[in-house]
Amino acid sequence: MAIRLDYVMKETGQNLTRNFTLTFAAILTVAVSLTMVAASYLIGTGINNSFLGLRSEQQLLVYMNPSAEEDQIDSVSRALEESPQVEEIDFYNRERTFDEFQTLFREQPDLLSSVTAEDLPTSFRVKPTSTDAEVVSALGDTFAEREGVLRVAYAAEYARQVQRSVNTLNRWVTVVGVVLIGASVLLIFNTIRTAVFARRREIEVQRLVGARNWFIRMPFIVEGLVHGLMGALLAAGGTLAFDALWQRNFVDQVAFELLNQIRWTSGDVVSAILIITVIGALTGAVGSGIAVSRFLRA
Amino acid sequence: MIKLDNVTKVYKNEHVALRDASANIEKGEFVFLVGPSGSGKSTFLRLLNREVKPEEGTIYVAGKDIGKLPGYKVPDLRRNVGAVFQDYKLLPTRSVHDNVAFALEAIGRPRSAIKEAVPQILELVGLTAKAKNMPDELSGGEQQRVSIARAFVNRPLILLADEPTGNLDPATSVGIMKLLDRINRTGTTVLMATHDRGIVDTMRRRVIELDHGRIVRDQARGVYE
Repeated sequence: MAIRLDYVMKETGQNLTRNFTLTFAAILTVAVSLTMVAASYLIGTGINNSFLGLRSEQQLLVYMNPSAEEDQIDSVSRALEESPQVEEIDFYNRERTFDEFQTLFREQPDLLSSVTAEDLPTSFRVKPTSTDAEVVSALGDTFAEREGVLRVAYAAEYARQVQRSVNTLNRWVTVVGVVLIGASVLLIFNTIRTAVFARRREIEVQRLVGARNWFIRMPFIVEGLVHGLMGALLAAGGTLAFDALWQRNFVDQVAFELLNQIRWTSGDVVSAILIITVIGALTGAVGSGIAVSRFLRA
Repeated sequence: MIKLDNVTKVYKNEHVALRDASANIEKGEFVFLVGPSGSGKSTFLRLLNREVKPEEGTIYVAGKDIGKLPGYKVPDLRRNVGAVFQDYKLLPTRSVHDNVAFALEAIGRPRSAIKEAVPQILELVGLTAKAKNMPDELSGGEQQRVSIARAFVNRPLILLADEPTGNLDPATSVGIMKLLDRINRTGTTVLMATHDRGIVDTMRRRVIELDHGRIVRDQARGVYE
């Protein structure tokens, strides 16, 4: 005696439409919370992607003016080699910088085509002997004032700063997302409770004629799952929108030095969507499961 | 078919609904439960499909001690025990046909079986012409017929009727009694709680009288009092 699929679909469909406002609110809450979870996952992944390499090395970046004279570059190079605080230097000429640029921005062909090697500054990647932030910073200061130097950047410190601020932001997104998932569970719980109440006559008759417990419960569990999965579906759209917005506003904008480092792949977006689908289904199942076990006791 | 051994049922408010009741009802019997309101008639019926459990004593239905039935097997018991009520308990948003079909859907019967069984039972209760009507378009007697059809469509061994004529005028009640009698004659055991003196006196069937939860009379071919 298999349960009839058309029965479950019909009953669930009726429940969903009968309680349209509550259903809508539940699905929307699930969608918002899952979008936040997905965004937080992507940002977290992005942070790891961009700073994992940098974290290990204590680097000083001396950027030269694009218009710097050859002898200015030579003089900086000599001074760096002579400095006892410098262990190693590595010069990035225009071609090397452009190569690196192409690797970094391989997913943005528009950007690549708009930049030529001539637009990019040359730079020295300096590995100081000390890893002490103050020593490194003092070393950097002595070069910042030299002629032809555009500016000096501290890779590790810089990375840590970005990481810290983005991490803080991300933690809040996660917290709000998790709180909203809790709210979703409660909303689904209430929606199912209302549905059970609306169907109390049917349930009474079903009990009376000997319907099995799971048969009575099934449409409600499915309804909760639909809430969760519909929310996840909307949230998948939200995730794609978030991804697109992030790409357009941060990653593709060289101006956002802090945020354009945080990037993720389309594979990460797919994982994020899979994760929120699972969370969405669980949210629906838990919400309806609690409601059903409380209000449809055998 | 039904056996009660020293059954006592006490509700949470400590009201004793049934006290030390014993009775033995054979297959195919028609039994009236009579007595004033609150004497335990409804409780007697509700014990038989395990809507309530007794505090003491044993109840056998179709040879099984239903007190020991695990929760998941209660549906099996109820499929063999149909129930009819004074207030019909019809679903107002479903037609006559669908109300009856709903009972079969609930126990997972295939669509083809439902298609066959529903018109048959509607024919039996004389409502073929009203299959598509909604419950609120029917008279009280017709609504009770739908409710009986729903309780009997699965051909249970036992039919419990709790004041089925309680809301009906005497002429309509006679029709309902004829229907229950007909169902009884198919071999179905019928237990009916009633206040209706006329019906009991006319039918001359077994009468179990309850008073304050005690069985005070158990009489074959009895009268109301």
